[in-house]
Amino acid sequence: MTAEPIRITVTVNGESFREEVPATRSLLDFLRDDLGLTGTKEGCSEGECGACAVILDGRLVDACLIFAAEADGRSVETVEGLADGEELHPLQRTFAAAGAAQCGYCTPGMLMACKSLLDRNPSPTREEVTHGIAGNLCRCTGYGTIIQAVMEAAKES
Amino acid sequence: MKVVGQELPRVEILEKVTGQSVFGADVSPAGRVLHGKMVRSPHPHARITAVRTEGAERLPGVRAVVTAADLPPVHYGNFVRDEEYFARTKVRYVGDRIAAVAAVDEETAEEAARLIEVDYQVLPAVTSGPEAMAPEAPVIHEDHADYWAQPSVENRRGNVCGHKQIMRGDPERGFAEADRIFEHRFHVPMVHQTYIEPHTVLAQFDASGKATVWVPTQAQFPLRAAIAQILRMPMTKVRVIPTEIGGGFGGKISPTIEPAAVALARKARQPVRIVMTRGEDFQGSNPRHPFHLRYKTGVRLDGTITAREIELVLGTGYSAGSGVMISQGAAVRAPGPYRIPNLRIDSYCVYTNTPTCGAYRGPAGPQLTFASESQIDIIARELGIDPVEMRLRNAFEDGDETPAGARLEDVHARETLRKAADVMNERPRPAGENIGRGLAVAHWLVGGMASSAGVKLNEDGTIGILTGVVDLSGASTSLAQIAAEVLGVSLDDVHVRTADTDFAPHSTISAGSQALKSMGSAVLLAAREVKRQIQQVAADKLEADLGDLELDDNKVFVKGSPERAVSLREVGHLALEHERGPIVSTQSVSRLVPHPAVAAHAAEVAVDPETGHVRILRYVAVQDVGTAVNPLSVRGQIEGGVMQGLGQALSEACTFTDGKMDNPNLLDYKIFSALDAPAVETHLIQHPCASGPLGAKGVGEPPIIPPPAVIANAVADAVGVRIHDLPITPEKIVRALKARRQP
Ligand code: FES
Ligand code: FES
Repeated sequence: MTAEPIRITVTVNGESFREEVPATRSLLDFLRDDLGLTGTKEGCSEGECGACAVILDGRLVDACLIFAAEADGRSVETVEGLADGEELHPLQRTFAAAGAAQCGYCTPGMLMACKSLLDRNPSPTREEVTHGIAGNLCRCTGYGTIIQAVMEAAKES
Repeated sequence: MKVVGQELPRVEILEKVTGQSVFGADVSPAGRVLHGKMVRSPHPHARITAVRTEGAERLPGVRAVVTAADLPPVHYGNFVRDEEYFARTKVRYVGDRIAAVAAVDEETAEEAARLIEVDYQVLPAVTSGPEAMAPEAPVIHEDHADYWAQPSVENRRGNVCGHKQIMRGDPERGFAEADRIFEHRFHVPMVHQTYIEPHTVLAQFDASGKATVWVPTQAQFPLRAAIAQILRMPMTKVRVIPTEIGGGFGGKISPTIEPAAVALARKARQPVRIVMTRGEDFQGSNPRHPFHLRYKTGVRLDGTITAREIELVLGTGYSAGSGVMISQGAAVRAPGPYRIPNLRIDSYCVYTNTPTCGAYRGPAGPQLTFASESQIDIIARELGIDPVEMRLRNAFEDGDETPAGARLEDVHARETLRKAADVMNERPRPAGENIGRGLAVAHWLVGGMASSAGVKLNEDGTIGILTGVVDLSGASTSLAQIAAEVLGVSLDDVHVRTADTDFAPHSTISAGSQALKSMGSAVLLAAREVKRQIQQVAADKLEADLGDLELDDNKVFVKGSPERAVSLREVGHLALEHERGPIVSTQSVSRLVPHPAVAAHAAEVAVDPETGHVRILRYVAVQDVGTAVNPLSVRGQIEGGVMQGLGQALSEACTFTDGKMDNPNLLDYKIFSALDAPAVETHLIQHPCASGPLGAKGVGEPPIIPPPAVIANAVADAVGVRIHDLPITPEKIVRALKARRQP
């Protein structure tokens, strides 16, 4: 029943990993269970909440909807790679200061969505930020502080 | 105050923004973890004639299968013991627990779950409260007269598992004195907490027979007791370790998958993890109670309310759960934040073939307020009175009593209400048609629960706090701020730790807006005692009177001569040599005086009469919070609560066909996304509250309560149609507009 394992090489946060995975393994399970990178969260496994959002070759994707095998030869960015050593990413700083993380469960995916937005569009309007996080559900904040944090991070850089 | 009242980031924020926080599914124990899977009923109501597990047990990779046969015959429940963990003779909702399996991987666990064969004899089901009350309705618990129940649970019969009646004054006379009498019916369907982290648990069983359970719970102590009761284990043979929790909102209080995980781990002798799928979470947890409400209100022409007669039917689901308590509390809050001399309130808690509802944030609040505040608006408009004026005329005040006879203090309902109206009126209504404004006011009663906390001075002069309360919405930070305030240190010098059930002093659950009140009161007492001990040691060192010593800037000094000082670090060391020994105190509180917390919200909406789409142009939330210990987290809680409430107002509902939920996924059960969310204009009313720590009031529940009523009133103002049945969907608005156009 379990599919034939396949060998993949994936760069995650700049580090290269060679692993054997079943063909049906999701990128999310690969990150969390095989690499122990549990920062990326699972909220639905159906592509509807964005808790699992990561950046794959510069594009925001839901890791629960992608097979690990699809990431073969490609580069993945997760929340664990956001900070540069001790130096937090501007979004991490502004999220903290604005109170944009309450329970913090949506936060890793939200941060990656915001990073992906700022990578493409360094000075977005509020409207653009709102659209940029439309695929990431947060049940705690009401989104206002998140939008504010992104606007401030954009100002900083 | 120096630290209390500051907008400070949460103490655990760095872990959260770096992905280091350990949530339920992130825990990794020693040893290979098995995948657990529940087997659940596909029928809302059926007799079980046989359960066959052999096929699953024979499947390679399966390590354990548990059913009712593996558990002692225990009925449990806090108010009525009507619940069995695994169904034995009957299933009572789609999702009822039949069995659980543990296997080496997820695919095998799923396959094993499919191989469990159950024979059912399907019975007629009933999913709405009023239908379940009908004499011919199928009976969900036949033996229910035999169940143990708390003495406060009255009048159990048929599917009614509790009926609370409150009478005040003379309702008949009150109605006789009224110039006009209004009667309306409302309906609020079930809604779900929809925390982004689904239920998950990891359980391990060691050689000494002790179970360790890692779980994102709001209620570690009650959960420990429940697991022990269900599995008939000595309570302290269960250790519950609360993980970081990805949202709870009242949905992570009652046991769900935890007893199954422990039973599987015990049988398999290996750790077992169960993670609910989103669909399972929608159908197998504890959502908000559906309500049918009837409000009859007598008023004088000037708007004074003379009497209210209220009938509430709450569908509790397949077991009483916390429903009876919530229906009793609902009776007390049903009349709203008003002084009404004559009342008759009947609140029924009724079994239905649906999941058992729980304590979703502000239990019963949005349902009651939707009905009550919609009706107040209807009446004001009928009488030609300004709706705000009508509310101000009847608003309760200090010294008034709740329908249950408790005296209210620190009320501030009028000020809160006026502020919401004023903020809305600061800007004129935009020009254009189909734009309307609405307002509603609501209250929550914040109690307190038995709690204790430890505070100590470390040898480096920093402060440690030990609690057993789970940090749901910033409690740890606020507790640290309270201790920092008392002990004259900065927030960075305070370390807070939530310990598990084995090591933490007993603490309240994180629910009902009372965590900060209960725990804050305990921390305040302990910090004050630590301060006294610090002064004692410092007094000897400085050769000063204890009463002359003050604490600030991490030191102790003599009032008026700041040069006579000793640092807290030195005191920490001195204490070890001093006759009094290490500086530490654990303090407890219980039975705190409840206080009301009022929220008044106002909205401006634009309704498209063609599509029925409601656009929120402005949203104002004003809340009476006492002292805001941390305004950043207070505002955050208010804005989040508003958004949940708006979801309930406009889009959220668990709907059922033949007893099965139609929309158990995040696509069809629509919570607000950033695209739907309006900016919230938040204003805090701050008057220190006598019964809260350093004047703080509970904050979490009130903001979720008014939105459905606010939106209903704003829509009525915009297009003249009144929706009595949540959510206020575009289809309902279009239908109501069509009906009105028809002659
Ligand atoms: S877990 Fe991937 S979108 Fe929800
Ligand atoms: S902070 Fe809790 S879900 Fe976003």
